[in-house]
Amino acid sequence: MKIFVIGAGQVGATVVEALHAEHNLTVIDLDPARLTPLAYRYDVATVEANGASRRALADAGVGSADLVIACTSRNEANLVAATFARIEAPRATTVIRTSNVEYIELWREGRLDVDFVVSSEIETAHAITRVIGVPAAVQTDVFADGQIQMVEYDVTDRSNPELVGKPLRECGRIPAQSRLASIIRRDSMTIPRGGDVILPGDRLVVVGSPQAAQAWGELLAPGGGKVEDVVVFGGGQVGVAIARQLLVQGIGVRLIEPDRERARRIAEELPDVRVYQATGLDPDFIERERIGQAQAAVFAMREDARNHYAATLARVHGIEFTIAIVHDAIAQEVYEHSGVDVTVNPRQVTAEEIVRFAHDPRTQQVAMIEGDRFEVLDITTSPTSEYVGLRFRDMPIRGAVIGAIVRDGNAIFPRSDDVLLAGDRVIVFTESSRVADVEKVL
Amino acid sequence: MTRSEATTRIPRPPRTAVGVRGALGLVGTLTKYLSVATLFPTALAIGYGEPAWPFLGAGAIAALVGLGLERLGRDADPIGFREGFLVVAVTWLFAAALGAAPYLLSGEPQLDRPVDAYFEAMSGFTTTGASVLTDIGALDQSLLMWRQFTQWLGGMGIIVLALAVLPRLRVGGRQLLESEMPGPEVDDLADRIRSTARRLWLLYVALTAAQALILSIFGWTGIDDRMNVFNAVAHAFTTLPTGGFSPQPRSVEAFSAASQWVIVVFMVLAGMNFALLYRAFVRRRGRVVARDEEARLYLTILALMSVLLAVELWVEGFERGEAAFRDGTFQVVSMMTTTGYANTNFVVWPALALMILIGVMLVGGSAGSTGGAIKVVRHLLLGKILRRELRQTIHPEIVIPIRLNGTVVDERTLRAIAAFVLLYIGLFAAGAGLIALDAAFQGPHISAFDAIAASATTLGNVGPGLGIAGPMGSFAPFSDFSTIVMATLMWLGRLEVIPVVVLLSRSYWRV
Repeated sequence: MKIFVIGAGQVGATVVEALHAEHNLTVIDLDPARLTPLAYRYDVATVEANGASRRALADAGVGSADLVIACTSRNEANLVAATFARIEAPRATTVIRTSNVEYIELWREGRLDVDFVVSSEIETAHAITRVIGVPAAVQTDVFADGQIQMVEYDVTDRSNPELVGKPLRECGRIPAQSRLASIIRRDSMTIPRGGDVILPGDRLVVVGSPQAAQAWGELLAPGGGKVEDVVVFGGGQVGVAIARQLLVQGIGVRLIEPDRERARRIAEELPDVRVYQATGLDPDFIERERIGQAQAAVFAMREDARNHYAATLARVHGIEFTIAIVHDAIAQEVYEHSGVDVTVNPRQVTAEEIVRFAHDPRTQQVAMIEGDRFEVLDITTSPTSEYVGLRFRDMPIRGAVIGAIVRDGNAIFPRSDDVLLAGDRVIVFTESSRVADVEKVL
Repeated sequence: MTRSEATTRIPRPPRTAVGVRGALGLVGTLTKYLSVATLFPTALAIGYGEPAWPFLGAGAIAALVGLGLERLGRDADPIGFREGFLVVAVTWLFAAALGAAPYLLSGEPQLDRPVDAYFEAMSGFTTTGASVLTDIGALDQSLLMWRQFTQWLGGMGIIVLALAVLPRLRVGGRQLLESEMPGPEVDDLADRIRSTARRLWLLYVALTAAQALILSIFGWTGIDDRMNVFNAVAHAFTTLPTGGFSPQPRSVEAFSAASQWVIVVFMVLAGMNFALLYRAFVRRRGRVVARDEEARLYLTILALMSVLLAVELWVEGFERGEAAFRDGTFQVVSMMTTTGYANTNFVVWPALALMILIGVMLVGGSAGSTGGAIKVVRHLLLGKILRRELRQTIHPEIVIPIRLNGTVVDERTLRAIAAFVLLYIGLFAAGAGLIALDAAFQGPHISAFDAIAASATTLGNVGPGLGIAGPMGSFAPFSDFSTIVMATLMWLGRLEVIPVVVLLSRSYWRV
């Protein structure tokens, strides 16, 4: 597939990283300092030009593109680039990144001439809400309208001993309706079989029903339960999007925003959120408002350093579960070393969302795990696939696991005797480098 | 420094920043139209064979004064926001003067002193219902009907005042109502007043006609043998404006239970926001009433207080069964909507019953109704402000916007409401103090409770007080000074205090 990526910032770079192996990429950006590292590292063409200029796009050869991704940080530039691309290459699929709610609404009404719109704020809010819904989880993605969840868990010393330290076939408590797709131990990944053992420090990838995902959470991090009180630090666009998503899930939200006008506006917009006008960095305030008694805290302020400080302070005051937005990739390591439970990088989440448009059209959804080392695909099997008609126990393992299938709209968690049929949607876990192979054989 | 050839002069500052001439011109126009109203009692007087010239004379004087003022303001600048306060304040003074003229010209001995006649007319046009008459039966039929009619006209003025003028002048948080106005969004004040008036007056007239018709039917069919067309119309004229004048010496006591219940229903309607009623009746969206926070609180207070009073009357042995229930409901509705009818002489009731009546007097009707006093919506928002203060004591940093019917109320409006309520309570206390002080020097002998009730009833435009000024009594024993104080309180209360107080400030008249 011939793909044009307009904008080589963090989102653009992540998109390039995920797509360069299988696709023919051209990256356009005004800043040579951003293009050069991409050109050195990957086999991509780079064009130093303004992506919002029709002539520049035409000169770069956008006319032959199959997919145009406009992912600069400027909403208007993205929209203009996509509009010009539509003129130059009427058959290409166009995707824009935007944080402008008006654009998203216009697009939903079908009045914006682009194929897909991806919003960092909304994707980030989704990612965080999913994690909070399953407190023990490092990451959660939902498939098939929420019937299937892909959840990543950390195994700790507190995890239920019936599950840890013995071969899987001897564990009696593995929840039904779920499949352990992989065990990630430091840098190696194993697709578990009956003889494998779960150890503390492992990271597990589980595909299962929402109930089963909850059960796994209970086993791996006992005493989690349902979340009712979440504190969101920072009332920017991301913070508000998170608060709104959490409310939709029926989770109570307290939000802390230092700016007076902004705090007032949020309180007017979201009547069910308790809004405080405070910095969140004041121990007296944290103590007085019993922030430590909240079940989880989300740090969505603009500066990584402030998020880090606030998260540490909140932990000191007793918050057990902290989730931080990370803007800079390096900050992610700092966060994780200092005990922040989950970090979410809005640009990565956005890139992940964008990447799925580059997949085989049969692929409905993609989730990335551990940066971009692994992917979970939601893909419809073709009638010519060599796997169709095989029982699951007879399928050769080639670094991929089918965690669940969707047949006639219902989720099925296959056992070894079940047979794969043509037209089934499969939720398959695999290493990123094998995605193209998996799409080919299915 | 360069200077243009033409000599430039800095103009002298105007003596006042308020277009007094223009304002008086508008008052003149309104007075001119109002003078036409005297034709109704004139026709009645001719029909009953009573002297018609007091009405014609009053009408002629009003028309002449109106035309004169209109001439005065002919070339004046168009009036705006500033002048609005002056127009509103002066219009009611002129209307009361017009109302008093027939009383004086008729030579009726109970009303032959200008102070008393003016009090009675002010009580009419402010739809209060307090009276200095001691023997109502002695008045001519036409004069009695004029008295009723002044309240009905006052009610029309109040609807426009409450729903179009005061919101524009941002009086005491009235801007809340601005969005509720039915009709097109027009920026011109005059256009807006016209379109509102047309729609709501139609509803007002229709409700008045409905009540008059129902009461007349009760009279014809014998359900109420004391009711006749004269009484039906007279009471319809003073129910919708929450006035409370009655041509009967003992208010509505003489009428049957059925008639009293009908009057209760129309009093409850009159105490509701007319814009809301318009939507419920004309646009057939009855659910707006059930969803409106103010209407819900209004009906809840009415129901709770009625039951409480009924139980109190029953327990104390004043009434039993339906009568206790009817008296309790009737009196609570009458006092809270600031109508002021009585179906029994409640001054003899026990202290708790009187406390309930004085309490609901201070609550008042809904904003946008013809009722007076503080208004339910201000109590509602004041309650929300207090609740927020309590929450902010515990959580100093919390940000809580206050909402009414789901819409955020801005902080300036809330401040205006708090200020209004304080001002109202202050005036109420000052009025009670002045009345008590004057009574101590010049008589009559009244209790502290009576002084408080007299102040609350006139400032709230209710009508009857307690003691000698009770529903079957009269305000006649009070001295001229107290009479003037109470007439002023009625005027202040009707105009929601602030437009009048504003006129007393220097900053109103200066640039």
